[in-house]
Amino acid sequence: MSSEVRFTDFKSDKQPTWCPGCGDFGTMNGMMKALAETGNDPDNTFVVAGIGCSGKIGTYMHSYALHGVHGRALPVGTGVKLARPDLEVMVAGGDGDGYSIGSGHFIHAVRRNVDMTYVVMDNRIYGLTKGQASPTSRSDFETSTTPEGPKQPPVNPHALALAAGATFIAQSFSSDALRHQEIIQEAIEHDGFGFVNVYSPCVTFNDVDTYDYFRDTLVDLEEEGHDPTDYDAAKEVILDADKEYQGVIYKDENSVPYSEQHGVDANMSEIPDGAPENAMDLVREFY
Amino acid sequence: MAEDLNWAVGGEAGDGIDSTGKIFAQALSRAGRHVFTSKDFASRIRGGYTAYKIRTSVDRVQSVVDRLDILVALTQRTIDENLDELHDGSAIIYDGERSWEAEIPDEMTAVDVPLKSLAEDAGGAIMRNIVALGAACEITGFDVEYLDEALEKRFGGKGSKIVENNKKAARLGQEYVQENYDLDHLGYNLETTDNDYVLLNGNEAIGMGALAAGCRFYAGYPITPATSIMEYLTGRIEEYGGHVVQAEDELSAINMSLGAARAGARSMTATSGAGIDLMTETFGLVATSETPLVICDVQRSGPSTGMPTKQEQGDLNMALYGGHGEVPRFVVTPTSIDECFWKTVEAFNYAEKYQTPVFLVSDLAMSVTEQTFPPETFDMDDVEIDRGNLVDEDEVEEWLDDQGRFRAHAATDDGVSPRAIPGTTDGAHMSTGLEHDELGRRTEDTEVRVEQVDKRNRKVETAKEREDWDYREFGDADADTLVVSWGSNEGALVEALDYLEEDGVDVRVLSVPYIFPRPDLSEEIEAADDVIVVECNATGQFADLIEHDTLTRVKRINKYTGVRFKADELAEKIKQKLTEEVPA
Repeated sequence: MSSEVRFTDFKSDKQPTWCPGCGDFGTMNGMMKALAETGNDPDNTFVVAGIGCSGKIGTYMHSYALHGVHGRALPVGTGVKLARPDLEVMVAGGDGDGYSIGSGHFIHAVRRNVDMTYVVMDNRIYGLTKGQASPTSRSDFETSTTPEGPKQPPVNPHALALAAGATFIAQSFSSDALRHQEIIQEAIEHDGFGFVNVYSPCVTFNDVDTYDYFRDTLVDLEEEGHDPTDYDAAKEVILDADKEYQGVIYKDENSVPYSEQHGVDANMSEIPDGAPENAMDLVREFY
Repeated sequence: MAEDLNWAVGGEAGDGIDSTGKIFAQALSRAGRHVFTSKDFASRIRGGYTAYKIRTSVDRVQSVVDRLDILVALTQRTIDENLDELHDGSAIIYDGERSWEAEIPDEMTAVDVPLKSLAEDAGGAIMRNIVALGAACEITGFDVEYLDEALEKRFGGKGSKIVENNKKAARLGQEYVQENYDLDHLGYNLETTDNDYVLLNGNEAIGMGALAAGCRFYAGYPITPATSIMEYLTGRIEEYGGHVVQAEDELSAINMSLGAARAGARSMTATSGAGIDLMTETFGLVATSETPLVICDVQRSGPSTGMPTKQEQGDLNMALYGGHGEVPRFVVTPTSIDECFWKTVEAFNYAEKYQTPVFLVSDLAMSVTEQTFPPETFDMDDVEIDRGNLVDEDEVEEWLDDQGRFRAHAATDDGVSPRAIPGTTDGAHMSTGLEHDELGRRTEDTEVRVEQVDKRNRKVETAKEREDWDYREFGDADADTLVVSWGSNEGALVEALDYLEEDGVDVRVLSVPYIFPRPDLSEEIEAADDVIVVECNATGQFADLIEHDTLTRVKRINKYTGVRFKADELAEKIKQKLTEEVPA
């Protein structure tokens, strides 16, 4: 790549098949801008995506990328980053992908604290399968599979993350382009696992959690004077079920990423032409 | 063949049976004797019968037999469980001071040694097994100094005091037998040699093979009997800049390994059948995205949780056919512990040369069995690493389309596409489990679909031409009886040849280390009067393949008790099969 990287360099020439007006356009644009802004280029970036509308993001972006199986993007991202600390790794998925089928991986990715960025495009519905309840759907949200609503509380991903020992928790809104980009940027720059839940409205199947709804209710934590390094304040925000907010909710400034904890810093793609020089020592161990 | 000795220690899990056996095996190995071990164990941490058996000879040994000469019994059950194998000349070492009254058949030699009291004299009751080892040395005429070497290796890290106490415990056991028993009638006098041997099991060989082959990333989830591969790599792989992750489950393990492989690392995961089931979801993605990955299945008895600590070779069909849709994969099946090493090296090369997942299928019998080898068996100078069609920044140019996009899945003549690892300038591309075009982009175009399916399958044809998918051959090449086997049965079969020869039965043995692609055995089968396929499963999965390939009915020897074949048992079964008609 040329030294001057523009965010459009991260754009592929494939036209997105997302519905017109889909929140994922804004989510993706913010990711591309944040990547360019933080000095990355498509050749040193690896994007891992799950399944669903969100999973298509790897197709519309230009970088090294893997479009994986449902719910398992985080382990793939973990493998990429541990093998290649020199790469910028961004994992993207949806609320179903990340908090339903992938919820086990989510908690463990959080506690591992590998230095990568996890963007969840949360539209509170299953879009690509045409409108079923997702883990973040409201308990009274009527869908084809829950005609009277799921009748169970939505998952609180931030609470899960905090409980699992997250070092960076944030939320953004795809339509607030500048703030969204800033927040993703901060997640990229965070030394550890940067988790951002993005309100990314589904204009086709979700008529409750709409652009208007978020515009009307969203509280910006920065404007509120929230201190993201204050754990108790973060806890309070996260457990306040009545509030929709954006901004960095929690940031552990003493975060020690996995690679540092475990001394993993080699570029694992480089190996010699034959067995290592001292490989006979491996055999002698068995004397 | 030189006289061999069959020795065992048995008791309850938690009695230190495993380490006692391992110490004696190492002592024998240090003395230049060949050793082959086997383990009986249950799926529990404490309690329950467990035993460690050693067969040793100055000649190579590679199988267990139905005979036990010396048994260290810490419980009555140890004696009861092994009655079939004990014989009139067997000696049983036990502790008569302990609360159980040993019931030992009159014909056998009971060697009552106060193991616990003598251990306490040496510094602690915990060393009672070492006292028993000292007693065993005396009975067999084996120089206790070799035991000292093994004790130093085992306890050296814990300080000289511990080592000295253990040595003393061994001496007390030895002296006790010397003073209280006259066992010359047993006639043992274990010969030693100047040979240097290494003693290792199949999982260690796989781990060592992975390191030799440049494996840098391993993710796994604990499961019997695969876990010791992860344990071996942990602490060693770091020396080479690699890393092991204990993942939250097998789904995560294979996805992490896939990520690392995609990023350019030689990467592996290992599990057993139940874990393979979970990994199957991602297996298809690995194959379709053409990611080089080694997936090791150390088989145990299935289905479901089956018998977790027992032997079986029941996953062959899974390795061949597992997963939805049709994707190429290689299935490599080491046939002995040393081959666990070499086939692992090969597996990494195949994975990268053909950009496919490679199933490395081992089994419990090999994974927990230790065997002696001359160290040069694992000559690291012979390890070759072939990374296949990796393109660098200059070569990438050749593979760009007219718009400068990298054709990661280019439909080449040999089916092998160029591979640009992340960081390669202008190589950026996406990979996906969706059907895709040459650029890796999703497509439902009928022509492109067919082109990509054919391209992936073409790699198999290329590999069939370029590599040797051969078998290992033993016995009499001109014999009318042909025995075919895969996996860990090889050792027992090779030793069965000796028993068969004594009975005047000539046999040709083919041991097949590749299931897919695999050698064509049509000519060999046509040349034989009797064809017998030996495997540890109930339905004869490998026999089915042979019949399919050669359109010839074969006889089958199947064992699915959970216990591996023994050499003498196999010889009997082969003789019996020769009297039977070929199935219609």
